[in-house]
Amino acid sequence: MTDVAADTRPAEADPARTERMVLTGLLALPALFLTVLSLVPLLLLLQLSVAHHDEGGLWRPSLELTQYAKLLNPQFLKVAAFSISLAIGTAIVSVAIAFPAAYFISRMKRRAQVAWLVFLLSTLSLSEVLIVFSFQVLLSGAGAMVKTLMALGLMSSAHSLYPSFGAVQACLIYVVLPYIILFLYPAVSQLDDDIPAAASTMGASPVWTFLTVTTPIVRGPLLSAGLLVVIWTVGTYLTPLVLGRPQNWTIGVQISNAAMTTGDLPLAAAQAVALVCAMVGLLGLTRWLSGQKDAQA
Amino acid sequence: MFGLEITGVTKAFGAHKAVDDVSLAIPQGEFVCFLGPSGCGKTTLMRMIAGLETPGQGTIALNGKDITRQPANVRKFGMVFQSLALFPHLTVGENIAFSLRLQGKDARQRKARIEELLTLVRLPDMEKRAVSQLSGGQRQRVAIARALAQEPPVFLLDEPFSALDAKLREEMQIELRLLQKRLKITTILVTHDQREAMSMADTIAVMGEGRIQQHGGPLSIYRDPANKFVANFIGLSNLLPVEVLDKDTVRFGANILKVASTPEASRPSTLATLSIRPEDIQITSADQAQDNTVACKITFVRDMGSSVEVHLDCEGRDLLSVVQPRDWTGAGAGDIAHLRLPQNQCRVLAA
Repeated sequence: MTDVAADTRPAEADPARTERMVLTGLLALPALFLTVLSLVPLLLLLQLSVAHHDEGGLWRPSLELTQYAKLLNPQFLKVAAFSISLAIGTAIVSVAIAFPAAYFISRMKRRAQVAWLVFLLSTLSLSEVLIVFSFQVLLSGAGAMVKTLMALGLMSSAHSLYPSFGAVQACLIYVVLPYIILFLYPAVSQLDDDIPAAASTMGASPVWTFLTVTTPIVRGPLLSAGLLVVIWTVGTYLTPLVLGRPQNWTIGVQISNAAMTTGDLPLAAAQAVALVCAMVGLLGLTRWLSGQKDAQA
Repeated sequence: MFGLEITGVTKAFGAHKAVDDVSLAIPQGEFVCFLGPSGCGKTTLMRMIAGLETPGQGTIALNGKDITRQPANVRKFGMVFQSLALFPHLTVGENIAFSLRLQGKDARQRKARIEELLTLVRLPDMEKRAVSQLSGGQRQRVAIARALAQEPPVFLLDEPFSALDAKLREEMQIELRLLQKRLKITTILVTHDQREAMSMADTIAVMGEGRIQQHGGPLSIYRDPANKFVANFIGLSNLLPVEVLDKDTVRFGANILKVASTPEASRPSTLATLSIRPEDIQITSADQAQDNTVACKITFVRDMGSSVEVHLDCEGRDLLSVVQPRDWTGAGAGDIAHLRLPQNQCRVLAA
């Protein structure tokens, strides 16, 4: 009997090992692609950021930090701070709109839910370029928005609503909103309807329930959605360029100017690296913050 | 009236009437079970009592005051949900203190009440635990403690034990009943489990098709079902089609049977249903044949050890008799048995 058992043991281990090998083989290719496609450009960018800038848009390999030193000038820091605050503002407003929207859609009848989701998915087919230029038409002096505001008596004389900070902010929110609603929909539709009902039998008003029960339960997805918006919009380029004044221009516009107008590729690379570092720092901070909260709970 | 009074309550979802003209009076401190199959409207009725649904028609009154239009957060009837609906982001203590916080109780009062309730449900020192760290039975008790924290005038439980295994369920049923007796709180429990209803409730409201089919004490409902639905749903019943001959005689096929009494509405030669419990049917040998005896063919015998189930074919109808092992003659499938149907156990219901 013991002999038989000893014989079967290696045979039992075999399928598991084969499965692992097949899995490794299958995952090797995507892993390789990911490494090559994300790491190689990042390394090239790093190399370029420490290169020496020659006049006339040229550069030669070097190992100097002069470009990084240039980042410390107040003008660049101001633009960087503006970009990050614009991204965070967009994140807060879009999540604040998308969360209740996703919640109400998930509580509709099946048919209405499908109609809303199809509508949201179809708006994703609009490219950012198309949206930005549509906003330009909409907000122009002869556009529909101005006419409506005039008709309502909210505006005394017809003038264009762009370039302005408001136009940039509104357009960015419009662009990210359908993504965020679709992103939050699965989490929100899994919420147990009995939970708000239980809160109300204990004396909580609907608004109080939404703020103190429903929202904290989906805190994780809300935070992820906010981060996603920050990462998407911090490097935005076209929207501030078309709909904003120069003081509303973001780090994206700054990088483009450094690379294309001034021809200082190493400086543009250093600015891009700084942006990536800021994002990694933000991600770390959020993780740490949510970890702290979980530890408290 | 002191207690809860439901009058002519109706609730329709589209064309479907979930609750149809229900009236019920529950005296203060009574334990009532809403018992019925799924889809009979019992949960909808409970949600209307809690204020989570608004009746289409009818009124709900508490201690004589009409509360039909009062929202759930004003009524504050403690409710335990089937899913329990514990708040996953809060600890056990914070879950229990949710209503206390809304009442404006300070930290010291909250702590004292949490400790009192956790002792009551036998979960001392669990205050700081996360809900996710608890077992099924512990969650159940936290949900009960949370619903009782605000000292509700009415305590509602919607199939609270359905997710527990059989042993734990029985334990929790006993615990809840003892707790209810101690607190003397008006309690309504929704269940589809007749054993649960029979063992816990002061009175049972049997629900079917959106209506209360019968309301009364557990034994009176079991002994004296009001109609075919109740006879079928509460315990096992043999239901036989009969023709009424006079006020205590019916005809079943070729057999003339004496019965307890026929419904007042039924006149001679109308059709009715004879109901008799399996344990009330006596199997006798042919030579003992007396009145109220019918001859049947045994189709199947199931010896369960503590009792014997005998399935019979009687005038083309399936019949079930449950006998004690010591009374069992040992006959097998295909044998002819003589069944005595005691007159006072034969109830005639509307067809």
